[in-house]
Amino acid sequence: MNIDDWKSQIKRGTLEFCILLMIKQRPSYGYEIISTLEKYPILSAKENTIYPLLRRLMKEEFVSSSWQESKEGLPPRKYYSITDKGLEYISVMSEEWNNLLNSINEIKGE
Amino acid sequence: MNKILNDYLEKIEKYLKPLPVSERVDIVKEIESEIFELQRNGKTAEEIIERMGDAKELAKAYLGDLIAKGHSFSWNRVLAICAYYSLVSLSGLFVIPILVICAPVFIICGIATPIIGAVKLIDELLNLGIPYANYIGISGIENPVVAFIICIVIGIVLYIIGSGCWKLLVYYIKSVSKAKKHLSI
Repeated sequence: MNIDDWKSQIKRGTLEFCILLMIKQRPSYGYEIISTLEKYPILSAKENTIYPLLRRLMKEEFVSSSWQESKEGLPPRKYYSITDKGLEYISVMSEEWNNLLNSINEIKGE
Repeated sequence: MNKILNDYLEKIEKYLKPLPVSERVDIVKEIESEIFELQRNGKTAEEIIERMGDAKELAKAYLGDLIAKGHSFSWNRVLAICAYYSLVSLSGLFVIPILVICAPVFIICGIATPIIGAVKLIDELLNLGIPYANYIGISGIENPVVAFIICIVIGIVLYIIGSGCWKLLVYYIKSVSKAKKHLSI
């Protein structure tokens, strides 16, 4: 039984949704997003997944980005914030997600 | 920032060459920012590089399918494309019209032959005197039943040829467009 394969497929399908939900809560930067995801093993992903994904979301105009100076003499951080198009996308995704959960529950017979 | 990390960033920048400069700079700046965050949290250069993975792999993830398409210009590719289009247009000049005409003609004849044979048979057996039926026949064969059977056999053969032409046409078009997918500059 190779559960890891299945888990990585789930991750691939849901990461985008989770990242958008996080950015919707408040504008975040890459490292922050990665650190938050690390708390949830099923969602944790490395830089080489998250950054290209963020870039794609930006190209599709679901998020926008801006460089902001941070304190303590650190280099600036690139903050991502949600756009109107992104909000719309999230609401459609949420609806589909609920559909999926309901379908699974119904199939399970609960 | 120490040398290992600098080299790492330079490598990433090098592998991102297919992207426009502004995008490349932005990507590297973001990765640099991430590296600073990691360092601030007490990670060593080695740990950071291990975490981020191979520079080439990381760059590849950004490039996505850009890399798969291959960006280097090559004469072989151009020649292959020239050969492909010459071959396809030359063969298409004959293959497509011939098959387009043959397929329906053979199929229609394949259907018509047994019907005509049946008309002749009915005409002969019942003596109906259907107009022009006396022109139907296979030279040298008098017996209408034998002629009818031969008509059915010929009909089947014609139909098989017709549908074969049609399948060949579909196959030809499919393989041409499939080959095209592999060829792009």
